[in-house]
Amino acid sequence: MTDDLKKYHPAIIIVDLVSFVKGILWPFLFLFVIKASSTAIWVTWGRYILFIITIWSICSFILKWYFYRYEIVGDSIVVHEGVFVKKQRTVALDRIHNQKSNTTFVHKWFGLTSLTLETGTSGENATFHFPVITEVEKERILLHLEQKQDTFEDVAGEVIEKSPERTIHFRSTKKDLIKASFTSFSFLAIFPILTAMYFNLDDFFQIEKTAKNALDYLLGNDWMLIVILVIALALSVLIGFIQTSIKYGNYVISDDMERIYIDKGVGKFVSFSIQKHKVQGVIVEQTILKRLLGLASIKLISAGGSKEEDEEISSLYPFMPKQEAYRVLQTILPNYLIEEEMKRFPIKVLWLKLLHPYYVTILVIIGLMIFKKEWLWVAAIVLGLSAIFRILDYWFTSYIRHGNTVQIRKGGLTNETFVTHRERIQQITVKHSWLQRKFGVATLKFTNKSKPLHVSELYGVSKEEASSFYTWYNTPTK
Amino acid sequence: MYLNIEEPTERISTDAVKVWRISNSLGHLLALIIIAILGFFSNMFGWFDWINIVLYIIGGLAILSAVFSIVIEPIYLQRTWRYQIDQQFVQLKHGKWQVKHTLIPMEKVEYVRSEQGPLMRMFNLYKIEIGTTTSNHVIPGIPSEEAKLLKAQIATYAKIQDSDLVEGETGA
Repeated sequence: MTDDLKKYHPAIIIVDLVSFVKGILWPFLFLFVIKASSTAIWVTWGRYILFIITIWSICSFILKWYFYRYEIVGDSIVVHEGVFVKKQRTVALDRIHNQKSNTTFVHKWFGLTSLTLETGTSGENATFHFPVITEVEKERILLHLEQKQDTFEDVAGEVIEKSPERTIHFRSTKKDLIKASFTSFSFLAIFPILTAMYFNLDDFFQIEKTAKNALDYLLGNDWMLIVILVIALALSVLIGFIQTSIKYGNYVISDDMERIYIDKGVGKFVSFSIQKHKVQGVIVEQTILKRLLGLASIKLISAGGSKEEDEEISSLYPFMPKQEAYRVLQTILPNYLIEEEMKRFPIKVLWLKLLHPYYVTILVIIGLMIFKKEWLWVAAIVLGLSAIFRILDYWFTSYIRHGNTVQIRKGGLTNETFVTHRERIQQITVKHSWLQRKFGVATLKFTNKSKPLHVSELYGVSKEEASSFYTWYNTPTK
Repeated sequence: MYLNIEEPTERISTDAVKVWRISNSLGHLLALIIIAILGFFSNMFGWFDWINIVLYIIGGLAILSAVFSIVIEPIYLQRTWRYQIDQQFVQLKHGKWQVKHTLIPMEKVEYVRSEQGPLMRMFNLYKIEIGTTTSNHVIPGIPSEEAKLLKAQIATYAKIQDSDLVEGETGA
């Protein structure tokens, strides 16, 4: 299973160049267009520096293409990096938890793609990124990965029938997209975009004056204002819809025996896949709006996630009707059964929660006493709000444990249900304070592997349940 | 016993009380000295009044905290600390008003290491740090012979259990 050192496709130079140009566009425009007639020292120097940076970057892109290599040796991938300082990184194939691939417009022109392999560790070696590779090459790497992981399974004594076809469980329709664009409030996105544009332009041109004149004119003509508002609204709905389409269009969830695949995107394709047995837990999330519309988003917790912008990708389609979401989850991960009926804690837990000191209120009182005594009534509002939040918190908190599975629900404005299994829990802590002992309750806390760490804390579990939870976790598996 | 569970039984050395007392005394002494110096400068150069007030408050709190963490806390910590290591789990328990039980499966233990500061060397004590993928835990104040044994034991158990979970889950 050894093959030679591979170079990246030469298009890597262009991909790097495009992202470099994106980054340097504003300083370039500023120094060479807007300040074109300026002869100030810092502008001249800035131009030189920009020039040097550009030359240097182009050289480094070419050198990078020339020197960077990767290979698959036996069970691991070795990446050779560095131009002057050489570096070799190795990862064992079975350490890879999930993989992502991202095809931007530039990639598409050349018929290429990128691939990121994520391991369960943190730090510099957490992810292995192949910025530019051909589809064929990607398939080859993935094939190695699957083979390796399959044989590993077989060694573990499990007979798995391989089914090469994927079953598609969900494909987003136009209706879904319209729903999504409204629930995510993306039609409001036009306001930040407009403001950003305004301030960026304002730095260079004196548009404030012109804007003021235009505004005065508009305020004089009511109907004109209304027409413009309607147009703006329509435009923003359209932009929101397009944005949502780019992000969530063509959303396809599929799986085979081994893995779950999520593909999405219009124009820019993103795909994600994770081995089923590396899922650490499942979260069902519902904001108020989603609850009203009967939608839910299901997230798969995995150890290999990265903190990058594409966090959404590890979630099954975030705007699926709840029942359908449950159905999809049921088919792809039959072990993660979500129990709808959950019991609240006994009412005494509410009294206990209300009994806790109101630190924020105390701070507000002290602050107002010192700085603004006549506003002391604000403290009453703060107290009321904190009490309401505590009641909501009590109302939506519940917990259930059956067999191997723990399910907790927490909430208030956003409801979150988390399901995991005993084997997935990294460690548990049971604690109880003096006050909790008076009420006969305790706090449960358990941790799941994820990035960042997923910690679940549950206040107010009865002491009997806390004891049996501890014993349940303490029972040896083998 | 509040919870109906099998609690860990091993205790930590009584010398730990002395170590905590000395180190907490030194720490608080240092803090008080810094506050005193600041107060001295504040008076000498006539800094704002509120600085003086804040310094008095911090000083008062430091004295209260000194009384608690030198006289009271070490005894209770030592008396309530329990740990236990077996083939499957590391169990820790400590605290009096807020009691905390922690349970770590051996298979999740990534490393174990012992550490000894100058004060601990005086009493021939070690602390053992147990690290998992998600966090780390410290057992304070273990006599040196026991510490070596404990470290070796955890290392052995953890190694035995080292395998990635691939069997799939038994499910609900």
